[in-house]
Amino acid sequence: MSQDLLEVKSLGRAFQTRDATPSLRWVIEDMSFSVAEGEFVTIIGPSGSGKSTLLNLLSQIDLPSAGEIWVAGERVSEASLKKARPGLDCRIGYVTQDDNLLPWRNLLDNVVFPLKVQGRLDAQGMERARALLDAVGLLGFEKYYPHELSGGMRKRASIIRTLVYDPPIILMDEPFGALDAQTRLHLQSDLLKLWTVKRKTILFVTHDIIEAIGLADRVLVLSRAPTHIASEHVVDLPRPRMLDTLLTQPAFTALHERIRGQVQ
Amino acid sequence: MKQGWFGQVVRDRVLVFVAIIAGWQAASLVAGSYWVASPWSTLLGFVDVLANGTLASQASYTLQATLIGIVLGGAPGIAVPLLLQHWPRVQAVLEPYLVAGYGVPKVAIAPLFIVVFGIGIESKIAVVASAVFFIVLFSTRAGIEAAQRGLVDMARIAGADGGQIAWHVALPGALPYVLSGFRVAVPYAISSAVITELISSNRGLGFLVQSSATDFDTRGVFVALLAITLISLAANVCVALIERWLLAWRPALPDATKISSIG
Repeated sequence: MSQDLLEVKSLGRAFQTRDATPSLRWVIEDMSFSVAEGEFVTIIGPSGSGKSTLLNLLSQIDLPSAGEIWVAGERVSEASLKKARPGLDCRIGYVTQDDNLLPWRNLLDNVVFPLKVQGRLDAQGMERARALLDAVGLLGFEKYYPHELSGGMRKRASIIRTLVYDPPIILMDEPFGALDAQTRLHLQSDLLKLWTVKRKTILFVTHDIIEAIGLADRVLVLSRAPTHIASEHVVDLPRPRMLDTLLTQPAFTALHERIRGQVQ
Repeated sequence: MKQGWFGQVVRDRVLVFVAIIAGWQAASLVAGSYWVASPWSTLLGFVDVLANGTLASQASYTLQATLIGIVLGGAPGIAVPLLLQHWPRVQAVLEPYLVAGYGVPKVAIAPLFIVVFGIGIESKIAVVASAVFFIVLFSTRAGIEAAQRGLVDMARIAGADGGQIAWHVALPGALPYVLSGFRVAVPYAISSAVITELISSNRGLGFLVQSSATDFDTRGVFVALLAITLISLAANVCVALIERWLLAWRPALPDATKISSIG
């Protein structure tokens, strides 16, 4: 009906409390939103608002306690499901907060790891991996082990490890959280550049309002737990965007003010 | 600067070596060479048994028992915890028995194994295997428990199946623990073999110690002890080299650790 690639309907996730009389504590409750194909959506919310819980549900490494998740018109997750399908047959990529590179594989072997386990590591895949390494400035570091690379390089590697197998939906959980401001700005620009070329559907969680606006077509603001969507903001800033000059634009500052009022 | 530090360590090691030899020589002078063979006569005796082939044949018997025991004990030591992690209930049931098996001094079981398996090589292999099994089992399990949840989730999302996760994520992650288990187990395996030979055997380095002592040939005892010591050191170097080769991906260890592993 709609051409939304990802739809979340009345999603809920509850955990057992550790009190004397165990009860259910709802971290996410009655959350609904949808993401169109090729859209870049950022999600922002106070800490402890269940952002990671939400991404774990969407990436299917966790199952909801209520509600449904639909991908491309197919119901893929609901409370009655017994077994999760992590990554939904490689249709959903997930760039986690930690880079989660395998310490015993060198950079190139880490980047092509998904292709290898999917049995798709051919000359073409190798070429794509090299092109991505080139795009993020990692060419020449293929043989390095993760511990020999800087935090920013590891982060880039973990992002292109997801891009290399081309999942239609990519989830990102504060991927630039632990980096210094300069590296952050670099990586944000890199990400926008890659997205402009590939036009993936991206759902990007952050707690940084500037980042949330700068990257997105649309910003979803989460409420405090039990979390639902508190508000939604279309970012009407022209692309391509220069992230470092964005801050001075009136449209940006107005939006920033509006969202800041709601996040607190 | 590092080289200088290493150089100092080597120099000091030589000094300690000289001190040990001097102490040994002094003990030999005080007690008489009949009771404590001097370093020099021990070295001559060592060259003797080396030349006439006695050492090679006795040492190879002990080494054979040790190696077979390490394989027979080590392989299930790795496999059992890898399998048991999928059956938490079975693991919970077996837990106290595994702990008990780990705790029993294998030397105390040796006489029983000799009764059951005879005085041949089988009883030595059994003692070595039982010692190695429990050490490797518990260190492998520590490695599995230390596996990073995030890496496993990443692999699942990337499309890896159970077998691929075990091979590409769980096993390499547990490998440092498995290897440090072997590092403890190997010297233990050698001494287990020797002790079992001491108790009852007609071959091996332990037998050499025992028979020399019975003949009041203290030089023979020292020669055998020297051989056992050298084999232990060599085995330690072998394990360290295997470790270095298999764990080449790891960040370089601090100098102190590196030296102790090789020396």
